[in-house]
Amino acid sequence: MSYHLRLPKFEYVPAATAAEACNLLAANPGEARLLAGGTDLILQLRRREIRPRYVIGLKGVAELAYVREQAEGGVTIGGMTTIHTLLTSPLLRGKFEILAQTAAGIGSPEIRHLATLGGNLAGALPCADFPSALITLGAKVKLQCRQGERLVPVEDFFAGCGQTVASPSEILTEIQLPPQPSLSGGVYLKFHDRHSMDMTTTGVGAFVICNDERRTIRDVRIALASSAPVPMRAKNAEAALRGRSFGEDALEEAASLACAEADPRTSWRATRDFRMELLKTLTKRAIQGAWQKAVSSPEGKNREKSRAPLFPG
Amino acid sequence: MKNLVPLSFRVNGEQQDLLIRPWHTLLEVLREHLGLTGTKRSCQEGQCGSCTVLIDGTPVNSCLYLAVEAQDRDILTIEGLGRGDGGLHPIQRAFVEKGAVQCGFCTPGLILATKSLLDENPTPSEDEIRNAIVGHLCRCTGYFQIVEAIRDAASELAAEGKR
Repeated sequence: MSYHLRLPKFEYVPAATAAEACNLLAANPGEARLLAGGTDLILQLRRREIRPRYVIGLKGVAELAYVREQAEGGVTIGGMTTIHTLLTSPLLRGKFEILAQTAAGIGSPEIRHLATLGGNLAGALPCADFPSALITLGAKVKLQCRQGERLVPVEDFFAGCGQTVASPSEILTEIQLPPQPSLSGGVYLKFHDRHSMDMTTTGVGAFVICNDERRTIRDVRIALASSAPVPMRAKNAEAALRGRSFGEDALEEAASLACAEADPRTSWRATRDFRMELLKTLTKRAIQGAWQKAVSSPEGKNREKSRAPLFPG
Repeated sequence: MKNLVPLSFRVNGEQQDLLIRPWHTLLEVLREHLGLTGTKRSCQEGQCGSCTVLIDGTPVNSCLYLAVEAQDRDILTIEGLGRGDGGLHPIQRAFVEKGAVQCGFCTPGLILATKSLLDENPTPSEDEIRNAIVGHLCRCTGYFQIVEAIRDAASELAAEGKR
């Protein structure tokens, strides 16, 4: 990796609204990059991995910085919301606490004040933590361009390392968290060398819903970070747990299945074998942690009595 | 391509109106245009914390921040922390007294991170102190004296508030 002191030359164009940013992207196809928090983009510029002619600054787009409660208990988060805001938001407690917990594990206060949730997703790094945490919640992202908006489930958003299904003229404006049933809870766990600041070696998110008697797993979502070129769901592990009593056997089987589904790479950070070991342990711990949260969560007033799985496919 | 763009902002309470290059970072403008070399340049990728400054009271890595985005903002660097006539801020004094400064390269960043912590949370626990400084690398002290200094600074500032 070549190391340059200065950033390469570019023209800086500030946007004040999402619509304005969309217009700027459409007017300069292939020549512009969006700058949100900058904790990834500035590094890519410095390393000359990208050489855009225009950098569109989003820090002034105040309309995209929010955490809002929706009817029926869902939450929407603007793409320019900082990780610091997620860590401190009173709306990300209880069923959505997995996001505050994920935020706490990222970087330092200095990084968290800059980095944004939209940037964490749009950067599409396999080691990013929020994609997996959001996948366990069944979250969607809203993409906006001049022609309109569309919604994409987070689990379908990533196309490869550093690649998403968003077109070059689209901006990630919002993250939508659907309401979650009662008796549910989620945990995101990761291994990293310094216990702060550094990239995630392996991460596992789990969200569990238990049945009314609090003995069996009614439904579960498991998502893995740094375990494949894109964040992935461990669907076989989920299927093995659905409807099953919680216990050591179930955890062991789910962890083995998650490892069989994953395809981690060997890098300077860790070998494939080491990542598999981490995956096994973290999967068990994440499911166990999510289970504990689910069984100890308060019962909702109007909860539905259905025992059917809640997360299709 | 526009090579020079205007930037108006406040640095340590003083209004500054500059012409800068849009690809220059806040770190570069502070050091090279304003001569404020107390803000240190080191890793240049947000890992070490030595370039930390406060923007509107919040700590950020100035190496990851385009100067042009500091338009209309209020920046505090280590040069702006002391109290008139070369007097030290209580956080600075605590760092000196506890031996939390050896080579001194990480010190400006750590002191500004401490200021931001104590502004938000005047009585932090040891865990809260350590969490507030995770983004700062110090190769000299082993962090013990730094944590002690932050604890001392907290008590000193609390006592000052009561006086």
